[in-house]
Amino acid sequence: MHISDGVLPIAVTIGGYAVSAGIAAWSARRIHSRDLPKVAVVTSAFFVASLIHIPFGPTSAHLLLPGLAGALLGPAAFLSISLGLFLQSILFQFGGITALGANAVMMGVPAVICGWFFQYFKGRTKARQAFTGGLAGALGTFLSAVFLAGLLMTGGEDFFGVAKIALIAHVPVIVIEGVVSGFTIGFLARVKPALLQPVRSFHD
Amino acid sequence: MTDVHHIQVPLWYLPLLVLIPAAVAAGVVPWLGRRARTRVVPEKDPDWSIPPLADSHGQGISLIHRWDVRCKIVTMLAYSFAIASLRHLSAAAAALCVSLVVLLAAKVSFHKVLLRVFALAGFLGMLLVVMPLTVPVHPGDTILVFGSLDWLNVNLRGVVLAATIAAKAMAIALLMEPLLSTAPLPVTLHGLSRLGVPDMAGQMVLLSYRYLHVFTHEARRMTAGMQARGFEKKTNMATLRALANFLGMIFVRSFERTERVFDAMQARGYNGRFPDPGHLQIQWLDILQTGVWVAAGTALVLFDYVKV
Amino acid sequence: MGDRPADRHTTSTFHGTNVSRSHGACPEPGGLAPLFCVQNLWYAYPDGIQALSGVDLDILPGDRMALVGQNGSGKTTLIKLLSGLLAPAQGTVCFKGRALTGDHLDESRLGIGVLFQDPDDQLFGHTVMDDVAFGPGNQGKSRKTAILYARQALHQVNLEHLAYKEPHNLSYGQKKRAALAGILAMQPGVLILDEPTANLDPGQEAVFLDLLKGFAGTLICISHDLIFLYELCEKAVVLHKGGIHHKYTMRELVSRRSSLRDHGLDFSFRLCTPANGVHAHEEDKKNGSETRSNEYAKILAEPSAHPSLVRLEKYRYVYPDGTPGLQDFSLDIHEGEKMAIVGENGAGKSTLLACLCGLRQGRGTLFFGGTPVTRKRYKNLWRRVGLVFQDCADQLFCASVQEEMLFGLRRLGLSSDECRHRAADTLARVGLAGFENRVPLHLSGGERKRLALGCVLAMDPDLLILDEPTAGLDPRGEELLMAILETFDKTLLLVSHDLFFIEKLTHRTLVMHQGRVIGDLPTPVFMQDDKLCNLNGLSFSYRQRTTTAIQKLQHEHEHRHPHLHIHDHPHHHGRTVHTHPHEHLHDHPHRFVHTHPGGQKNHDHANRLVHDHAHPGHDAEPHDHSHE
Repeated sequence: MHISDGVLPIAVTIGGYAVSAGIAAWSARRIHSRDLPKVAVVTSAFFVASLIHIPFGPTSAHLLLPGLAGALLGPAAFLSISLGLFLQSILFQFGGITALGANAVMMGVPAVICGWFFQYFKGRTKARQAFTGGLAGALGTFLSAVFLAGLLMTGGEDFFGVAKIALIAHVPVIVIEGVVSGFTIGFLARVKPALLQPVRSFHD
Repeated sequence: MTDVHHIQVPLWYLPLLVLIPAAVAAGVVPWLGRRARTRVVPEKDPDWSIPPLADSHGQGISLIHRWDVRCKIVTMLAYSFAIASLRHLSAAAAALCVSLVVLLAAKVSFHKVLLRVFALAGFLGMLLVVMPLTVPVHPGDTILVFGSLDWLNVNLRGVVLAATIAAKAMAIALLMEPLLSTAPLPVTLHGLSRLGVPDMAGQMVLLSYRYLHVFTHEARRMTAGMQARGFEKKTNMATLRALANFLGMIFVRSFERTERVFDAMQARGYNGRFPDPGHLQIQWLDILQTGVWVAAGTALVLFDYVKV
Repeated sequence: MGDRPADRHTTSTFHGTNVSRSHGACPEPGGLAPLFCVQNLWYAYPDGIQALSGVDLDILPGDRMALVGQNGSGKTTLIKLLSGLLAPAQGTVCFKGRALTGDHLDESRLGIGVLFQDPDDQLFGHTVMDDVAFGPGNQGKSRKTAILYARQALHQVNLEHLAYKEPHNLSYGQKKRAALAGILAMQPGVLILDEPTANLDPGQEAVFLDLLKGFAGTLICISHDLIFLYELCEKAVVLHKGGIHHKYTMRELVSRRSSLRDHGLDFSFRLCTPANGVHAHEEDKKNGSETRSNEYAKILAEPSAHPSLVRLEKYRYVYPDGTPGLQDFSLDIHEGEKMAIVGENGAGKSTLLACLCGLRQGRGTLFFGGTPVTRKRYKNLWRRVGLVFQDCADQLFCASVQEEMLFGLRRLGLSSDECRHRAADTLARVGLAGFENRVPLHLSGGERKRLALGCVLAMDPDLLILDEPTAGLDPRGEELLMAILETFDKTLLLVSHDLFFIEKLTHRTLVMHQGRVIGDLPTPVFMQDDKLCNLNGLSFSYRQRTTTAIQKLQHEHEHRHPHLHIHDHPHHHGRTVHTHPHEHLHDHPHRFVHTHPGGQKNHDHANRLVHDHAHPGHDAEPHDHSHE
């Protein structure tokens, strides 16, 4: 769920831009500047992945992937997610251009937290990595939902009801996201474990 | 003014007010969406050997096409924030009208605009349904009560609030197409970089945009590969597992491709910087146009402010 | 000194530096300094795979060199080192006399053009023009000049009219040419190509060949396709397990079947029945084509024994964006038929396949097994139609071979015992028994192809569809694939540009053009029909010309003459063992592979004074040097 234009108070949107610009700069500094194009190319893969619809009863949910992005990209995840959101906004109008900063904070900060979480707890065995990956996936979506609710609530008590419903609507997504992330990390642990290492060619 | 107005409506109004609009929306929206998605084949292929837009040298087809891209970005963004700050439905509606006029003047592709509107429909629809029911009741609010259904209280203030947000979101979304498609993306991003956004950010957007298409094709072929072996999406664990493999495969392939793309860039002399894409020039007409927009934005904000 | 047949020759290892001297294969023009000088080069990837071990190689200015070898022999690693994309772990790569590092590397990169296999990796610009001007821009040219150079390069590859189109709107062949333009715009002195013809149709391939022939500088080309390389390159370097095995002239390489076979490069199985060429097996071929014609005639004559499996009537498919895919398409495929579909890229072949296996649904009627396929039955076509994709990566997405096999089988609703049974049987059939726990992503190209085929075969389809099965395979992989396909006894639909596979496997050929059928005839007739073969830019004639030329070179006979031996082998000096090259003269019969110009019986083999072959027990023999 991305916040569209006109929902948040103007101070929050501007604040969101300021905060996300700060974190993006921090995120960019964690990578060698000539490797930034790599982040850009990987971002498009996450973008495509986030368009996949997963059936859930009669409806379907699409993945948000902050947890996976964090686990695979580390601190670069914030930059990647901001870039992805910018593209989603200008190409598809998913998320308003004025709310871009707030959206980036909402998705990007959980991703970075999940990245730390995954690297810290992943252990050595494939099963544990998959399990930690699943937890990271669920955690990422949960944190995003909490951020979303919090941002909506800055609009005053008129928005409390919307925030509550948004939070409830995320519960199935959290579960699905957790399971899919777990399986995906499990797959990567078997097929290309190098992707799960904190230090990769990105950071050389 | 301090009392809460309750308006008792007969129960049969409920289907009239809710079900029929819902049914119409359910029928019309997907139809329009399909139409918008089916791209109409252009009658003849444009001549690709000339640049689609020469940098502000009077070849554009509308005033907005000819506008200097830096002025355009700054003005449009500032104007968007101005719209986002509106608090009254009438002001938001006025902004929506301005956007519609601009849309017509900018001569942009209609179906792309339609796609943007549909992308918004989900979020705004959710607000329109949820807010009337959940907005806390303040003194002076008007509440619709349907027959004997006491729990179904539709707060009209919530309706107005949601409609205001919807109008603002639409007004800004409608401006996006004139802002973005009246110049090629690289020119727009170059404009951004001239405004102080790091050049690399613009290049990253272009790269992501380029590989979006490549990965979409890859994902589509992989989906076909799964379907050819009988994969069908259902709500079960096997589906989640298969989709996780699919995601994993997309990531593996993308990381591998990333390395190859980077190699190809390096092999052609990439060394951390992209070549300079040329220069831009501001003319007095650009500033005049910016002035008109600033005036419009200020007028809207003032109108909104005075209306309290 | 035993009589070793030539087939075993290449068991001895040659080190590069000796070979050029001993074979006289790479004549060195007096005093010309090498452009690239590679000395004792080693490289291992971070995951521990030793890609190159001890490579020595000199490349002279103006050389046109083919780098050949099996998948995984280190070719790609070598060109990455030559272009400075990887840094050697040990040894040096010198370009114009200086090691490729630091500023010299940055400078050199601007003069070394590398064309990678997948044009999408290379076209990262927003429009073709942006991309092509990227290189000249990095060379320090102003935007205006860069565009000028870019235009010139685009003109060279005949894409000027698409200069401002976005790359994803280009066809594959156009992308490939645009990528080449991006390099030509930099006016490089060296052009390095990685599989330049992979996935191109013969028409595009011919265009590409002409472009490359017109390139004046040094050319280094990786390819499995010796038939393509034959006219392009003069020299050939054979890599094997990370080392240089041979340096030949191109003519020498293609004439040495034994050597080709050892490196999995033997494409000569293709030469046994070349398409409508003039050759020694005229008689065999005639018989072969007659039986195939007869088979086809039999199927047509006995409709009861071979009922119709697929019938399309006035079938149409239009893509959502309005591009027509199939137009008024009518087709009848009988059970047990083996049919080929040919046509240029974009002729609608893939659309047809997608419709046949239920991935797309067009308008018109499709009968499968005699009953019309309704909207609902479209979804179930996968149970009876198996499709092997051109790119295996699109089809393999599990973490182990076993899971991959079971993915489709489980969806057929079979018991788990039956699933496991079928998986094991099929794996054995495609030559992958024992691979159950391997990761599909880590298999070689040929193995992956056979796994993809196995996954489909295990589901026991009534109709097997193969989309360009030979794309990207090395000749060894092609041969194995061919062996499996020859045993397939149900209905087969083969989409390919590969005339050899078409002739070997099918007896009916459908020629498609712009979504229509423009020819439907027995394969042998199609093969004879030069006009049809070369239709729509499907010029197979280049391949035929080359094939005939190579075949003449591959004439084999036994011959005895004295010749010189140069090779290295272990010498025992008390306890220490070391190797060094040495040469000696001896005389024994050889099976020979070479040309007989003009068919004359008397010929001398003076040019074949030097041979490489194994010497079992040689170190026990008397030596012409002393051991101290």
